[in-house]
Amino acid sequence: MSWLIRVGGVGIIVAVFGIFFFVLMEILPLFGTASVEADGERNSGWTGAGVLGVDEWAERPFFFDGRSMHFMDWASGKESTEAIALPEGAVVSCWSFEAGRQWITVGTADGRVGSVQVKYQPTFSGEKRTITSTVSVGEFTPMGLPGVKVEKVADGHAESAQLLAILQHDPAGKPHVFVRCIRVKRGLMGGGKPAVSGEFDLAQQVGGEVSHLLAGASADSLLVVKKDGSVDYFFFENGASMELRQTFQPFAGKADAMIASAGFVFGGGSVVVSSIDGEQQVWSLYNQTVEKQGKTFQQRLFGKTKDLPKMDEAGELFAASRRNKVVMAAAGDFVTLRHTTSESVRWQGHVPFDVANMVMDGKSEHLFFLDGQGGLHRYSYEDPHPEAGWKAFFGKIWYEGASEPSYTWQSTGGTDDFEPKLSLVPLIIGSLKGTLYALVFAVPIALLAAIYSANFLPGKIRNVVKPTMEIMASLPSVVLGFLAGLWLAPLIEQKVPSVLLAILVLPLGTLLLGWAYTKLPVTLRCRVPHGLEFLLLVVPLAILVSAAWAMGPVIESWFFVVKDPGTGKAIADFRMWWPEATGTPYDQRNSLVVGFMMGFAVIPIVFTITDDALSNVPPQLRAASLALGATRWQMVRTVVLPVASAGIFSALMIGFGRAVGETMIVVMATGNTPVMDWNIFSGMRTLSANIAVELPEAPVHSTHYRALFLGAMVLFALTFVLNTVAEILRFRLRERFKLV
Amino acid sequence: MATDHSMQSKEKAMAAGRRPDSQHGEPKVWLSALGLTVGLLMVVGLLGLILIKGLQVFWPAPVVQMQVKKADGSVETLAGEIRVIQHRRDAAKEGQQIEEILLFMGNKDVFGNAFRYIDTALIESRELPKNIVVAERMEYGDGIFFPVALKRADGAEVTAADAAFYPALQEEVDRVAALRRDIEHIEKKEIGRINKELLQINLKRKALGADALGAEALGAEGDAAALAGLDEEQTRIQAEYEKLAAQARQLRDQLGVSTLTYRLADGQQRDMSVGNLVTFERPNNLGFGGKLLAMVKHGWAFLSGTPREANTEGGIFPAIFGTFVMTVLMSILVTPFGVIAAIYLREYAKQGFLVQAVRISINNLAGVPSIVFGVFGLGFFVYTVGGTIDRFFFSEYLPNPTFGTGGILWASFTLALMTLPVVIVATEEALVAVPRGVREAALACGASKWQTIQRIVLPGALPGILTGVILSMARGAGEVAPLMIVGVVKLAPSLPFDFEAPFIHAERKFMHLGFHIYDLGFQSPDSEAAKPMVFATTLLLIALVVIMNVAAIQIRNHLRRKYAASTF
Repeated sequence: MSWLIRVGGVGIIVAVFGIFFFVLMEILPLFGTASVEADGERNSGWTGAGVLGVDEWAERPFFFDGRSMHFMDWASGKESTEAIALPEGAVVSCWSFEAGRQWITVGTADGRVGSVQVKYQPTFSGEKRTITSTVSVGEFTPMGLPGVKVEKVADGHAESAQLLAILQHDPAGKPHVFVRCIRVKRGLMGGGKPAVSGEFDLAQQVGGEVSHLLAGASADSLLVVKKDGSVDYFFFENGASMELRQTFQPFAGKADAMIASAGFVFGGGSVVVSSIDGEQQVWSLYNQTVEKQGKTFQQRLFGKTKDLPKMDEAGELFAASRRNKVVMAAAGDFVTLRHTTSESVRWQGHVPFDVANMVMDGKSEHLFFLDGQGGLHRYSYEDPHPEAGWKAFFGKIWYEGASEPSYTWQSTGGTDDFEPKLSLVPLIIGSLKGTLYALVFAVPIALLAAIYSANFLPGKIRNVVKPTMEIMASLPSVVLGFLAGLWLAPLIEQKVPSVLLAILVLPLGTLLLGWAYTKLPVTLRCRVPHGLEFLLLVVPLAILVSAAWAMGPVIESWFFVVKDPGTGKAIADFRMWWPEATGTPYDQRNSLVVGFMMGFAVIPIVFTITDDALSNVPPQLRAASLALGATRWQMVRTVVLPVASAGIFSALMIGFGRAVGETMIVVMATGNTPVMDWNIFSGMRTLSANIAVELPEAPVHSTHYRALFLGAMVLFALTFVLNTVAEILRFRLRERFKLV
Repeated sequence: MATDHSMQSKEKAMAAGRRPDSQHGEPKVWLSALGLTVGLLMVVGLLGLILIKGLQVFWPAPVVQMQVKKADGSVETLAGEIRVIQHRRDAAKEGQQIEEILLFMGNKDVFGNAFRYIDTALIESRELPKNIVVAERMEYGDGIFFPVALKRADGAEVTAADAAFYPALQEEVDRVAALRRDIEHIEKKEIGRINKELLQINLKRKALGADALGAEALGAEGDAAALAGLDEEQTRIQAEYEKLAAQARQLRDQLGVSTLTYRLADGQQRDMSVGNLVTFERPNNLGFGGKLLAMVKHGWAFLSGTPREANTEGGIFPAIFGTFVMTVLMSILVTPFGVIAAIYLREYAKQGFLVQAVRISINNLAGVPSIVFGVFGLGFFVYTVGGTIDRFFFSEYLPNPTFGTGGILWASFTLALMTLPVVIVATEEALVAVPRGVREAALACGASKWQTIQRIVLPGALPGILTGVILSMARGAGEVAPLMIVGVVKLAPSLPFDFEAPFIHAERKFMHLGFHIYDLGFQSPDSEAAKPMVFATTLLLIALVVIMNVAAIQIRNHLRRKYAASTF
């Protein structure tokens, strides 16, 4: 039996500490990097320039060399070639590739633009999946200078719009960029035919040699990257003109600012540009104030948001993931994968061949590389949490579309290309904010109550008072939260000045009362037994509070007056005055309410521990102090409090731990908005509330799920450390009393 | 002269010295007294508030009929219960305070909204009309009206003026209630059983390799025969279902055979099927005793009934039951583990730095936020353990999880883990308190270590252990945050424990008093209508928790006295 107890006892203790390790194991993958493993090689014989593409299952890559379409059945290693029916006389001279739809836009040597599309179709027989492919050739239409070779082409596709851009040189050698905007005009019946809504020649605006053309995925913008390293941003304004909105220079100040590669990140809000010596920058669209023709207005323009870590090589090749903000760049045998939001290098290294062409599959699980000798290499790429990392959780990040770097928590969004914002900082701030206001309210009450109960209260009364205060600790937090949200918040919403007044008046009034009491004749004072002051206080306290309550509106009409913008009348309303005076919002469910209700949770804990610490002060010390002529307050202030200070400190820490982890009160009594301010009249979102609200919806083992575990870990570590320190302090204190 | 002077100065010195010195810091003593007073008032005030608000819910409120002036000068008649009297600042009147009342008018089907704010100044007259009826209905919440006539199934009509009217109405309501019970029995029990059988057939099909739709794909003869058997079985069950459904339909038809004609305060006359009526009463006709009786009746209905109308009406029995089962399950789990760990720590482990560190850590676990335990419970119990169980034992149900989703078992495990430190610490304290002399006496009599612990130490420590367990139950019963993650739901279709094999359904989701409060107060579409329900539930939960805590404190005090008295 003893043996059983031993095994059981050790087992239980180990199991309890297993919690820590389990949570740790859940969050560790967040801090890992990606793994890239070679996953086979096939001899395809595909060489030269062309477009490399693959289906989303990474089983049937294709290669388009301008004349025919080649497929590779990865499982069998069989290569097949499909001739495609290009129009008469069409010789493909350039192309652009949209990997999402396997859509190749081609330009021809005789000035035409057309398209070739590969369609994949999976068929299932039982568990086995086979991928079949069909190639379709779109219409070829003349564009730009007739009969002149198209040198570059760019194609942006949106749901009902398309933007085509080509580069040609006129016989004089001047570069021309032609743009064709196509819009689907919706008829009444919903259907519509695409029609050209604008053709432009941008030769005047561009005026330089062009190295890259990039069309935005929303089919209304075009980026012209020039050989001097500057980028022109054109926007298709009002369906009428192609406006040059901005020219920016990514690598300004460098000796050679030329851009080796450029490409959009998934979602189309950001562009990644690489310099020829391996520097990489992210430029994103966000609202900026511009001054044009004497007018100031907001416009979405590109601005540099990030410098990615420098690459070993130029990064001439570029590919973007279609699931998240990961981009891939390669030059020679160097390959690197980066996440643009968190600015982290997911993987980088050298492959045993020179990369001539590359593509990432639709699920971002495989990478395909073509070497110069016709070898096709497949690499498996596993990166479950690219958006995680120290910087993502605790750093300031410049998110797409934002005008400055910020700490933001916004874990889920409506669209596929949503960028999860996982900064824990606003949540930690929220937790600390709630805790701070709870402590500001609770600690004075708890400490004063404990001082009184441990030093001045007769034993018999104390035996009733102490358990009563301890009952407070057992009140379920959901009850406190409900009362805070549905009863207290609406109650004090209109009475903020009254509440503030009461908080001010109560201690002052009591001090005054105490002073007046000492002025009473001693014969009267003798009748009041020591230690019953707290009962005597009930009546004056009630009078003070109700007076403050009644005076509140009066105070409001004196000090908190605002002008109603509608009528111009002066209105005494604190709720309107506060935002006007401080610029911070006023919420009904705010920190004041949370602080007050959390007091119910914190006061009993701080009270009990402080009371224990104070009453454990050896009675000899008190007796000695009183014998030397100290008054009872002097005895407390000079002897009891200093001796028990460590215990009081530990009480504060345990109270802090209790408030930090409190969940239901915060969930119910605040608006749960992640904010970064310390405004007492606004809400917050705490770590614990965040977990309670979001964990039920988070998919298992997703980054979001693990990030919530990380939040739990932060809470766990915080409270555990605080409590341990407090425990050690108390232990020390006990040792000290032993000596006395 | 000199003596006089010295006397005077002495007196002065005494007078000056006595007051400041003997009273030094006295105002601050008062200030500290303020802390205690505020703290005590907070507890008493909160408990009082909940008690009053909670009991008010059951108290039949008087129905006030009032004449209210409308904006166009005409006067309308309204009737209802006054729920709140409050002051509001009117923007149109330069920030003047205006008194207004919140009137609960019921009859949501007519007015659209059961509540209305009315400026007190606009009320021209008030009265408490006799015979106005407050009726609890199956749909649209309460109705407040004057009954006019009751038309029964046989065509007989009783008017409200008739003395036999109210007994007749009561009789009808009782008949309808009995019918409703029968329907529920058929729909829940019988049809539930049939659904289960159908599910079994589908599972068997799945096991045979065919999906529920087509049997053609199968090759083997035996399988085909088995499938045909299943098909036959299914037709039989289907027929049984049709029969029961018809029976339920027939009963349902009977619900609506009698009609009640009633008149609203504003004079509208309407008809209502008595089948829609749950209970009715005439609060303005009740004396104090009658109201008390009604209060008890309401209270019982609240405790024993099942929720209706998105939980805002009816009772909370499933929530009470869920809380109870979960708490008991939790204490069954936590007690042996906590006690074994404590015995090991106190009696077996070598006392030293390591054990001290472990002890401090366990103590600190009690301070770790409950939500962290919830997170662990979800990750470990639900997804890891539950997922594994599903893969091995319930693979035929996959991808629908059986244990791999939140349920009462995992909730109990999570809370058991959370309250384990409470039990360990309490047990350890109780073990320490057992006097050394007793142990030594036992050992001297030749008892082995385990015998000493089992026969002498544990019985002595039992009250202390009990205290710990009760404290842990109180904490577990009131905790909501971790439960939200590991299996509590707003409305569970069935109890976690019933008369259907295997009787205990540990995988089922359950309802909980605490979550009920959260859900009603914050997720309900009409939070004003839900408020009484929340206050009543709160009262119940608080009563439960406070009683458990007081019991624990009592046991602890009793224990202390006992050991203080016993000397060896």
